[in-house]
Amino acid sequence: MANFFPRWTNYLPLKIIFCLLVIGGAASAAYWWYLTPEYMRQGYQPIQPVPFPHDIHVSQLGMDCRYCHSYVQVSSTSNVPTTQTCMNCHQQIQKDNPKLWAVKQSWETGQPMHWVRIHQIPDFAYFNHAVHVNRGISCISCHGDVNHMGVVYQHEPLSMGWCLNCHRHPETALRPVNQVFNLDWKPDSGETQQQIGTQLQKNWNINPPQNCAGCHR
Amino acid sequence: MKRIFHHPPEEATGRRYWRGLEELADTPQFREWLEREFPEGAAELQTDPVSRRNFLRLMGGSLALAGVGLTGCHRPETYIVPYTKSVEWLIPGKAVLYTTSMPRRFGGMPLIATTFEGRPTKLEGNPLVPGYNGGTDVFAQAAILNLYDPDRARAFRENGNETTDQKCDAYLKKVRTESQSTGGEGLALLLDPQWSPTRDRVLNLIKQQFPKAQVYYDDPLGSENINSTVDALFGADVRLRPDFTEADIILSLDADFLGLEGTLEELKAFSDRRRVRGAVDKVNRLYSVENRYTITGGMADHRLRYPASAIPSFAAVLAQKIAEFTGDHTLAGIVGPLKPAPVTNDAWLTECAKDLVAHKGKAIVVVGNRYPTSIQALIHAINDALGAFGSTIRVLTAPRIHGGSIQDLANDVKGGSIKRLFILASNQGFTAPDDLQWMEQVQKKVPEVIRLGYYEDETAPGTLWQIPEAHFLEAWGDQRAPNGTYLPIQPMILPLFGGWSQLDVLVKLAGAPAGLDAVRETFKQFAGTGDFEEAWTALLRRGYTPDSAYAASQARLGRDKVTTLVQAVGELPGPVSANAMEMVFPGDYKVEDGRYTNNGWLQEMPDPITKLTWDNGVQMSTTTAKALGLGEADLIEVTIGDRKLTAAVLLSPGHADYSLSLSLGYGRERIGAVGQGTGFNAYRLRTTTASYVATGVKVRLLQADGYKLNRTQLHHSMEGRAIIREGTLEDFQRNPAFPKKMWTDAELEPNISLYSHPPLNAPNQWGMVIDLNTCIGCSACLVACQAENNIPIVGKDQVERGREMHWMRIDRYFSSADGDVSNPRLDEDPEMVVQPMACQHCENAPCETVCPVNATVHSEEGLNVMVYNRCIGTRYCSNNCPFKVRRFNFFNYNDRSITDKIEHGLPGFEGKQTLILGPLTPWGMDEISKLQKNPNVTVRSRGVMEKCTYCVQRIETAKISQKIKAGVTGDLTLPTDTVRSACQEVCPVEAIVFGDINDPASQVSRLRTAPQNYHLLEYLNVQTRTSYLARLRNPNPRMPGSAKIGKINTEHGGYQYQKFLEYEHERAGARVNERVPMPSVERANDRTGGNG
Repeated sequence: MANFFPRWTNYLPLKIIFCLLVIGGAASAAYWWYLTPEYMRQGYQPIQPVPFPHDIHVSQLGMDCRYCHSYVQVSSTSNVPTTQTCMNCHQQIQKDNPKLWAVKQSWETGQPMHWVRIHQIPDFAYFNHAVHVNRGISCISCHGDVNHMGVVYQHEPLSMGWCLNCHRHPETALRPVNQVFNLDWKPDSGETQQQIGTQLQKNWNINPPQNCAGCHR
Repeated sequence: MKRIFHHPPEEATGRRYWRGLEELADTPQFREWLEREFPEGAAELQTDPVSRRNFLRLMGGSLALAGVGLTGCHRPETYIVPYTKSVEWLIPGKAVLYTTSMPRRFGGMPLIATTFEGRPTKLEGNPLVPGYNGGTDVFAQAAILNLYDPDRARAFRENGNETTDQKCDAYLKKVRTESQSTGGEGLALLLDPQWSPTRDRVLNLIKQQFPKAQVYYDDPLGSENINSTVDALFGADVRLRPDFTEADIILSLDADFLGLEGTLEELKAFSDRRRVRGAVDKVNRLYSVENRYTITGGMADHRLRYPASAIPSFAAVLAQKIAEFTGDHTLAGIVGPLKPAPVTNDAWLTECAKDLVAHKGKAIVVVGNRYPTSIQALIHAINDALGAFGSTIRVLTAPRIHGGSIQDLANDVKGGSIKRLFILASNQGFTAPDDLQWMEQVQKKVPEVIRLGYYEDETAPGTLWQIPEAHFLEAWGDQRAPNGTYLPIQPMILPLFGGWSQLDVLVKLAGAPAGLDAVRETFKQFAGTGDFEEAWTALLRRGYTPDSAYAASQARLGRDKVTTLVQAVGELPGPVSANAMEMVFPGDYKVEDGRYTNNGWLQEMPDPITKLTWDNGVQMSTTTAKALGLGEADLIEVTIGDRKLTAAVLLSPGHADYSLSLSLGYGRERIGAVGQGTGFNAYRLRTTTASYVATGVKVRLLQADGYKLNRTQLHHSMEGRAIIREGTLEDFQRNPAFPKKMWTDAELEPNISLYSHPPLNAPNQWGMVIDLNTCIGCSACLVACQAENNIPIVGKDQVERGREMHWMRIDRYFSSADGDVSNPRLDEDPEMVVQPMACQHCENAPCETVCPVNATVHSEEGLNVMVYNRCIGTRYCSNNCPFKVRRFNFFNYNDRSITDKIEHGLPGFEGKQTLILGPLTPWGMDEISKLQKNPNVTVRSRGVMEKCTYCVQRIETAKISQKIKAGVTGDLTLPTDTVRSACQEVCPVEAIVFGDINDPASQVSRLRTAPQNYHLLEYLNVQTRTSYLARLRNPNPRMPGSAKIGKINTEHGGYQYQKFLEYEHERAGARVNERVPMPSVERANDRTGGNG
């Protein structure tokens, strides 16, 4: 009987197993990576044209979020301040600080600043800042403790599952409306966030949308 | 037993609806077309033998290679770019609304512009202005796309060479100095008729400084005949406007007052008298005599198809009858010497005249704008005899600056008296009557031509200066509405390409202050005695000045002058025949006179009557076509005198025999990418003397089936089901709920759904009601939807494959008395009905149950939601949709070119195949087109299904505003009727009503309880959220043939149901006389019994 199979076929099963292992490994690695915060860019901290320290402005100087993000209570987007807003103070204070060079340049030439976007959700998801901050969701819930950040980074994954977690359990994040911009607020002793949140949800008739049309249009 | 619906066969005889002649003839090709999920070719990739499978095979390799680069692993860095200086009023992410207005033929149209970060994205009507309901029309909706047209004129050109605006400015200064010394000798201004007080004021300044300067007006769809007749009969500075609020009986003699020849005021007034809310005594009656179906004819209770050249005779006979019935000797005297050709349908005319006379003082006769002055005068005399002046016709004092016509200008140029011609409007190189030979004999003979043009078009060559024109949203101005109300034109954006407005050029000539200062100067006469600044702010805020309408005029018809004018008519043309045909040149519903030819939204909008996209064609009746041996889409040569034109045949039901119509505005030669190569240029057949109707037309067949005409009318069909329901007012009075009991709905039994659905428990439940009784089919909703929802245009080639993306379509059905399936006999006198059709938001939505990836789901508010990012493009949903309202992105229409193609010889195929490069073309839309997009709506990509969302972005915006307003109070109740969908907002006749059906006070809840409200395909238990109010016609019982009108599905409803039962019996093998119930719960439940 002739040799139907040439010699090299002896190693074929091994080769197949090896290939399967490589492919399977690659697929697992890709999926693993997809599940990591890295995929969601959690911790993303790009270099900004001006290393704006939120901790100095908010925690040391006591500025309110809304001095710069002035339309957060009325608009869907929380605006980034115009160069004019920066120059309101920095015409007087730290005006020769080289770190502010880009701001000065923008003011003199009229060319706008190009801040690198950190918190990005897909174009088909429509997030509205105003409705959240007016109904007891603090900045900290999505942006982390920005008031203590030297340079801002992405604190939360901003994935759809993460959004829905809160939309299903808003009581975990609700706080009195006058404490929304106080990022250091903690429930009074003896109360838990759960208790306060549940009470507020009931009082304010909070019923966050969980259907697709709530965010996707 | 599986529940299968056996639809009853269509009745073999009796009236039925049909959408096109192909459907009536019911050819096998048509059957095949209908039975496909998408029309033929829509689901195939591109042409010819290259199937999708082959293409995928070819593409697979290149995609695999593309993946090697792993370019998609990192999200690109994006930037937030705030303003340098804060902008007043502007809040990023929030729309700012401004009042403005649009200059139109009969006066300004009040508008509200929506702007995002300084870019206008949408125009709506201004409901604050008295007499307006917030509606607009297709042209106002599409104007926003014209603003962002990449093919606009961008440069100042001197002798064709690009230069700067300063140089042009210097030239105009020179003109001014020179004219000051000569008194404006040789200076001519060619303008469009406008009702702008500032322009009039500046023109007066020019006339004072340069008394010898001449003013001419040109409007290709001219209204000059109306004006000159009124001037002659009533004296100068008088304006007549029909007032349909008072009119019980309206006769339209080829006057398309609901279409191109009307204004929003008239549409509103007419529809207010058409709407049935319980009582029917206020409903008006419309008679229409016209050669082709128009929007007005489609609304008529009685329509007579009649050649346009015979309408003067018709009017003369009508005048005789009215003189006879009223005993009006003056009218008899006026019409006496005329020798009209005999009227073919005398009984029709007599009954119509009787009806008009019976409603003396409440009747009006309107005639087409472009009929000669003698006919206009005759109609004035008839209206006078009917007591219309002061009741159904308002006589107003409206001063305007008189000027010559384009013919006068041509004569003056030939006389050599014109040295400098300012062409400040229109496109005469394309639109001027052909016998003027504008470019060769007029424009070239003027030493210096200064042209303000929106495009570098047919008129541009040979001009000394070509100035880019600013859009009306780019410059200050003002208008008076047709009733005289003063309206501002506020600019929304700086001129994108640095253009000038007409006013800018005129003020430079006049040496007067420009722009805002010019308008403020004019406004002083309207501001009243109070504080000027306060009045000015109020004007901009409200968008109009109260009590600024034209004053009523005491002028009355000079009857002695009528006789002279009417006598000038000369010999009235005889009847038309196969040897002596006529041709009519109406304006086009899509491109008007040609100014919108480069507007993709309008090009792709199916014509309201013919449903033709991207083209025009020679409309003719089938009788005419048979007599001439022609068929649809044949290329023919039309000859009028020594003028010839090659054009395609468009068969039109309801068209007068031996009469042809070819709309103006198509066949542009120098135009942007969109309008290039579309349609046929009717202007080449049009002369000064025959500017509306030409007689002695000859036609010769060049090539059978020689052209591709893309009508969307056949893309979706009613298949014999009672989708449209109509009856007469009499039916309604007898049984107001008659539409509910039509067809199979007559004995509908309770039904259940086998599927479980999420509960509809939200406080707001959205629904829509569409009133077919007022809907005129103008398609403004379709364009508004396109503007609001970022719907792309797909191009002629794609429309041909049935891939148009409109979320809303306006179904137009013809209905005829004797549709016989086995022996199709064409009714040449069909009635027309229209029905807007979009996603019905079924509560038991068939599309949802078949989606394998849950990409279309129900919200608790009753919305059938489409989730683009889940959709994988199986298109099962579209297949299962009974209304065929879902649209699929076969290409990335927004970001990829669909005009880039290659000819390629593919392995395994003979010859070369055309492939659209699609994904291989550069990605991204051009920067200027991006500006129009609505930021609140996702721009969809390839492979995604989409459909009407009930404007979910508007719903969510309203809910969010309420939540913000509620704050800690928790009061989330939306005020009644806060949410208005884009189609509702735009509708000039208020036919579309959207709202919360849970709120008993809302308009939509009240309409849903109206007796004539019906839901589509109720027997399928889909539970639609959109419902319709049946069309009610108001025929005159004494009219010949009136017994047939509006009876299409009332009388046969029961009969059809009987047929259905018999059919079901046959299927079930049961005895014929035993009543078999509708497919219902019991049978559906049989499935569990194991029989099925």
